[in-house]
Amino acid sequence: MTARISVEGLCKSFAAPVLQDVRLEIADGSIHGLVGENGAGKSTLINIICGLLAADAGVIKLEGHDYTPESRKESINQGVALASQELSLIDTLSVAENILLTALPRKTITIDRDGVEKKARELMGMVALDSATLHRRVADLSLAQKQLVELAKALSMADEQTRLLILDEPTSALTSPQADELHKIIREKAENGLSVIYVSHRLDDVLEVCDVVSVLRDGKIQLTAPASTLDNDALIKAMSGEELQSRGEQQIREYGDVRLDVFQLTTAELPNAISLQCHEGEVLGIVGLSGSGRSELLHGIFGLGVERQGRVTLLAKEKNDIYIDSASTAVKHGVALIAEDRKTQGIFASKSISLNTTVAGLGKFGSGLSRVVPTREMQVSEELIDRLKVKCEGPLQLIDRLSGGNQQKVLIARWLETKADVWLLDEPTRGVDVGSKAAIHEHLRQLRDQGAAIVIASSELEELTTLCDRILVLSNRKAVKTFKRGEWNNELLLEAAFSQHKGERLVS
Amino acid sequence: MNTESNEINILNKLSLMFEEFFIFIALLLLVAFFGFTAENFFSTGTLTAILTQLPALTVVTIGMTLVLITGGIDLSVGSVVALSSAVIGIAFTVFELPLLVSGLLGIAAGGCAGLINGVLGAYFRLPIFIVTLGMLEAGRGMAYLVTNSQTVYIGPSIQGLALPISGIGVSASFLTSLALVVLAQLALTRTVFGRYLIAIGTNETAAKISGIRTEPYLTWVLVISGLLAGLGGLMNAAYLGASDPNAAIGLELSAIAAAVIGGTSLMGGRGSIIGAFIGVLIISVLQNGLAQLGVSEPFKRLITGLVIILAVLIDRWRSR
Repeated sequence: MTARISVEGLCKSFAAPVLQDVRLEIADGSIHGLVGENGAGKSTLINIICGLLAADAGVIKLEGHDYTPESRKESINQGVALASQELSLIDTLSVAENILLTALPRKTITIDRDGVEKKARELMGMVALDSATLHRRVADLSLAQKQLVELAKALSMADEQTRLLILDEPTSALTSPQADELHKIIREKAENGLSVIYVSHRLDDVLEVCDVVSVLRDGKIQLTAPASTLDNDALIKAMSGEELQSRGEQQIREYGDVRLDVFQLTTAELPNAISLQCHEGEVLGIVGLSGSGRSELLHGIFGLGVERQGRVTLLAKEKNDIYIDSASTAVKHGVALIAEDRKTQGIFASKSISLNTTVAGLGKFGSGLSRVVPTREMQVSEELIDRLKVKCEGPLQLIDRLSGGNQQKVLIARWLETKADVWLLDEPTRGVDVGSKAAIHEHLRQLRDQGAAIVIASSELEELTTLCDRILVLSNRKAVKTFKRGEWNNELLLEAAFSQHKGERLVS
Repeated sequence: MNTESNEINILNKLSLMFEEFFIFIALLLLVAFFGFTAENFFSTGTLTAILTQLPALTVVTIGMTLVLITGGIDLSVGSVVALSSAVIGIAFTVFELPLLVSGLLGIAAGGCAGLINGVLGAYFRLPIFIVTLGMLEAGRGMAYLVTNSQTVYIGPSIQGLALPISGIGVSASFLTSLALVVLAQLALTRTVFGRYLIAIGTNETAAKISGIRTEPYLTWVLVISGLLAGLGGLMNAAYLGASDPNAAIGLELSAIAAAVIGGTSLMGGRGSIIGAFIGVLIISVLQNGLAQLGVSEPFKRLITGLVIILAVLIDRWRSR
């Protein structure tokens, strides 16, 4: 029997390989779970199957025929439906219009309103979405309701012609009864012959609803087995990769006094108070799944974030304590933030490396009409480029022309110029080549040895286990546990990172 | 090492000058074209016509360029010019205040309008396009209210500002606007303030993360634009010898056009005051040249519009 969809030898690289020789086979009417840490390659795999990305190598067959969709439209036409994790809803349209957006029933030229209403009601019934919301604008719905609309939308595509339904984190915003209802619907659809790829961080859900589960790690399929033969621990083991554990164990280092004290910090995005301390000469890691609040925590510490409450204090010997109330206070007193998204939060695009390196340090000269001397600016910039070995033509080259790794070095240079000694780094080596990555790690070690307090959030466990002295685990926007060097291994870290997701579903 | 960095420096300066060099050549070509085609183009009459109209548009364009660089826009400048000149006229004629005080009051009125724009845009986070659109209406309305919708004659005492100073040949207004161009260009390229405006206009989030408090800068830049529009009102009143509440209708569009011709990006982050000034010259030369050729008003506007679009096209093509 040919499989509904089969994937053979699929490879994809961006800066680094993301998928390597991926092999996957999904039978008719099978619900296939796909799990893995952040950055394991799940999204990339789904995007390729949906025609949003092109693979570098490999063959995909849909019911035995070669399948290489070049656009989302083409994959829909061939019967691949997707309910995305990032909601693809249009806020200003009604629920009914959103559900049927790609397949609005028509009269000859106008939209068939009665037809829309009837069909939308039917689909909303399927996902147990209150039909009173039919004509409401999506913008006015709660997150859980939006997720149900997204599902109904995917199911609207899942008609007779649909051969494969992909659900990406379908239950992340749902309550337990809603999730159970959804699972029932999926199982019914599968019994009628629909094949489903089910991607989730909620391992209990995956084990409950799926027939077969595959685990992705570092772009490779580590394990494919019937769900009945697996349990939580087996999945976590496969996701974390046992052979990595030994590498994490290095000697325990000494560090100094508390430099950064975060007490009961909350923001609008971080409702549960988080406290932490980072010492002089210490690297503190932050682990968490995507959406666990890692970035929000770093932004909150730095003085950004809406409805920020709690106390962030900089302590130093023979100096007054400084309370951080805004980003400019933070910068003035030596705190640096390298944000997650280099493009939108880091670089000044189509500007020179010179401006990009000196902008944060300009505050030293005063804020107003203090003079900037271009020649001195250039000198400073050249020194920094030398120090960080940024590969470029000189300080006047536009930053856009640099590779991701070199752009990241420029951002580090920017904060060296402010003489920062408290560093907050969010995914400092994402999309960075191996060489630059090693160089960046080396710089962080140097800073640490000079007495800087460093906090790093990363979705790459290995990065944290090699660099950090302690690791704080966030799960579902709560601080779960802090590990000291020697206490952790990948399995324990992942278990903690998944813990609050698990708890939520167990309540049912 | 030193010679190397010097070389880079020279290259840098050349490339920077090149940006403005390009439109400067365009200006020269335009002048040459009218010189050949219009008989009396190189007369003192033309020069005087251009020089008397120029200062108000120049100072307003300086403010507009700074606002555009931060990624904002100020649509209210035309109305603020009228409001300021109305305030000056009434202060001088009805309240019989000294000319200096009246002038300062007019400029202050512009500053207030700019402050309201800036605070609403930066601190209340309202879209600056809408805020200044509101001020465009409100400012014009206030200008009518202040003058009771009548043109207020001020007389020759104020016209001294707009008349050529003997021995120099240009007016005090013109000298002032020229000085402001130089000052603003230096502020933009050689001060922390200027760097911050460019940084905010390029990427506001990154600017915040770099420790820049964006709100005061976004407010200041609109206050400056308001003050300069207030000064524009004084210059306008001086040129007319009167306060006309209907003055400067649509001036904001000329200012935006001049800035854009001068290489300023409407998306923010890029712009030059010198370039904008050359843009002002191009628009003035075009208007006067076409008038001398006897081109009708509709055709003048058609051609001016095409020139603006052409300028942006060339700019886009060049920056690729």
